[in-house]
Amino acid sequence: MSSHTVVTNQPGRRTLLMGNEAIVRGAIEAGVSVATAYPGTPSSEIGNTLSRVADSAGLYFEWSANEKVAFEVAFGASMCDQRSLVAMKHVGLNVALDVLNPVSLRGVKGGLVFVSTDDPSQHSSRTEQDNRWLAKQNCVPVLEPSSPQEAKDMVSYALDLSERVRLPVMLRTVTRLSHMRSDVSLGAIERRDREAAFDWDGFSYRVAGFDKLFKRHKERHEKLDRAQREFEGLSFNSLELDGGERLGIIGVGFAHNYCLDAINKASIEEEVAHLKLATPHPLPVELVSRLLEGVDRVLVVEEVDPFVELHVKALAKDVAPHVEVLGRMSGHLPREGELGPVTMDGTLATLLDLEIFKESRTDLEARAKDLLFDRMLTLCAGCPHRASIYALKKAVQAVKVDLRGVVVNGDIGCYGLAHAPPMSFEDTYFCMGASIGVSQGMARAGVDTIAWIGDGTFFHAGIPALINAVVNGASIKVVVADNGTIAMTGFQPTPQSGRTAMGRPAKRVMIEDIARAAGVDSVEVVDPNDLEAAERAFRRMLEVDGVALVIARRLCATEALRVMRPEKPVPLEVDSGACTGCRICLSQFGCPALVWSDLDGRARIDTTLCTGCGVCAQVCPQRAIGIREV
Amino acid sequence: METFKIVIAGVGGQGTLLASRMLALSAIEAGHQVKIGETYGMAQRGGPVMSHIQIGGEAYSPQLRPREADILIGFELAEAVRRGVTYLRNGGLAVINSRKFPPVEVTSGMMHYPTEAELLALLGEVTDDVAVFDATALAEEAGDPITTNVVMLGALTASGSLPFTRETVLKVMRENLRSAYFDTNVRAFELGMKGFTDSGRR
Repeated sequence: MSSHTVVTNQPGRRTLLMGNEAIVRGAIEAGVSVATAYPGTPSSEIGNTLSRVADSAGLYFEWSANEKVAFEVAFGASMCDQRSLVAMKHVGLNVALDVLNPVSLRGVKGGLVFVSTDDPSQHSSRTEQDNRWLAKQNCVPVLEPSSPQEAKDMVSYALDLSERVRLPVMLRTVTRLSHMRSDVSLGAIERRDREAAFDWDGFSYRVAGFDKLFKRHKERHEKLDRAQREFEGLSFNSLELDGGERLGIIGVGFAHNYCLDAINKASIEEEVAHLKLATPHPLPVELVSRLLEGVDRVLVVEEVDPFVELHVKALAKDVAPHVEVLGRMSGHLPREGELGPVTMDGTLATLLDLEIFKESRTDLEARAKDLLFDRMLTLCAGCPHRASIYALKKAVQAVKVDLRGVVVNGDIGCYGLAHAPPMSFEDTYFCMGASIGVSQGMARAGVDTIAWIGDGTFFHAGIPALINAVVNGASIKVVVADNGTIAMTGFQPTPQSGRTAMGRPAKRVMIEDIARAAGVDSVEVVDPNDLEAAERAFRRMLEVDGVALVIARRLCATEALRVMRPEKPVPLEVDSGACTGCRICLSQFGCPALVWSDLDGRARIDTTLCTGCGVCAQVCPQRAIGIREV
Repeated sequence: METFKIVIAGVGGQGTLLASRMLALSAIEAGHQVKIGETYGMAQRGGPVMSHIQIGGEAYSPQLRPREADILIGFELAEAVRRGVTYLRNGGLAVINSRKFPPVEVTSGMMHYPTEAELLALLGEVTDDVAVFDATALAEEAGDPITTNVVMLGALTASGSLPFTRETVLKVMRENLRSAYFDTNVRAFELGMKGFTDSGRR
């Protein structure tokens, strides 16, 4: 395969790019020199692509320890007149919020664009948080692309805007845009090797003076006003007024696509006026007013919250009080969840009394659903987390007698699937690192807990909580499910991996060293695939009077298969003479490579899935599973 | 031209993404605009996956409306029917791999996989234009079951429904797939074309 198309310098060439790849291309075309990210669906392909192409594009990229650090690294570069890009999923901005605030107050020098990939309907998230509110709270201009082409073009514009108004700029995508692919026309890659130098006058208390730099709320408002004036005539916004006045539609960012498709399908171009709005914040009020003046009703179509709808409603009260503003607040669109062609068609059909969208196959679909099974999420075949959970459960059973003798506080990652059957051994998970924090409050209430946290998550947000437990003497038990990679988001490295995002060798920062340095009373490392050893380590952990931590360390099974290629694993085999059909391997362990055979009432092993890890052989009470005799 | 709409249904790990990329690149090669919408959510290997592909015409959203796809490509029998009853237009063409990939709920004996007849009867309420064959067997014959996606691509090309030629698809494959696997892929492609013709397109 040739090198990635995001780095080819062929202006005008049409190529297929994913939304997230187009963002990377935009950053490369616009001369970004420092890019940072923390992985999280649906943002991860931005960093994955950057880590592949950073060298050939001549820029620096890192997977930072968390989103706050990522933002700070970018801001540091910006203060030295370098262009920077930061990428994160929506909830990542909660982590970075503490630094976004001073950055927006103090302003930037080199353009700073941060990408927030929001996740309507929470396809891969614990919430469908709408980050435009956070942008508003921090006086940050927001751009919302409707296509990969626009995403690419907007990165370049956003960097220019950031430098003109000296504010960080948010590029807000939604999952459908980040993950869609379409043909994108490439622009020229401009090599702008700016001299890197700290802007003393702009940022130094010593040089510019503390009083001048510190209280900047007024300046920040003025900068936002300048952004708004620019947005009034921005070409990414477009107003089509030649339609009739039955209805006005405002389609915001990606959601504008649904509006256009529905208008085309219903052939009502002549009956509606519509505004494509790429700048939800600050709202270009003159542009919106021109739409409001010509209609009686306006429908605002946007992803997640009625953010623009609320602002348009406030505006209409002043400039066009007769206009009815409709959308998610008025109940004309659902209050929660992702929009889509069906929702949009239904709303238009109701508002304009159209017959066209009323056909359906509800009955057939219901019968299909009855006949078909679901495909539930499950840990992969050979996953070491499954072995850890199995051993942990045995240890809790032995020490506490009752499995409810502990509350298992999980965390964010593949291992969060510990709640799923047949393991069903996890009670809560909230946000990155929370397992260790909430366990301490429960300990104060006299409730025994296990904090169940992954290696990536431990580094992201677990460390301060662990130190807190030691210092305050909260006698908590922590299991680190250490599979050597940030697996769920696409196998990014962790600080233990010994390599950087750009593939350079790195110092390895080990979890056991951190735990010991923090003063944890008992630290053990165990291989979870040795079930007896793991169970013994967990039992010792449960009996420690103090803070105890066990690292269950074994490389992710999917990553291990990749590493061993082209070699293939040697699958295990069930001795059907020894198998009694007790089904313990299926009902208590449940590796996808274990298969039940109705023909002989025995378990079998799917040799295409089996990774040869040998854990099920330890689970089988009949010792009927073993390595295939050659 | 009217927008040409394709739905690909399968399970994670079957290479549906590669097939949709080859189709999209072929469309670009032939001078058309193209959009792919992916649905995979948290699906790792074995989870349900679906791609929507739209070629040419005036289309904005990457998601298809229900009942509008011209073609359904089913990499897996049950997934084909799950998506087909919703997305395939009345009388549209369904090209389906008859191979079953049962989920853990089925392999562990908790649930049953419906019969091929039961599944196809449901799809039959939408269309009579159905080609079913064991694409995975043909991929194995080509040299590697992983080339099932290329077999499906060949079958789709043989249907004559695509707005570009066999030569365009082969050119895109040559430029974008690893050269070491190219011969195997071409064998898989040819077998797919034959598989479609032999299926009799009931």
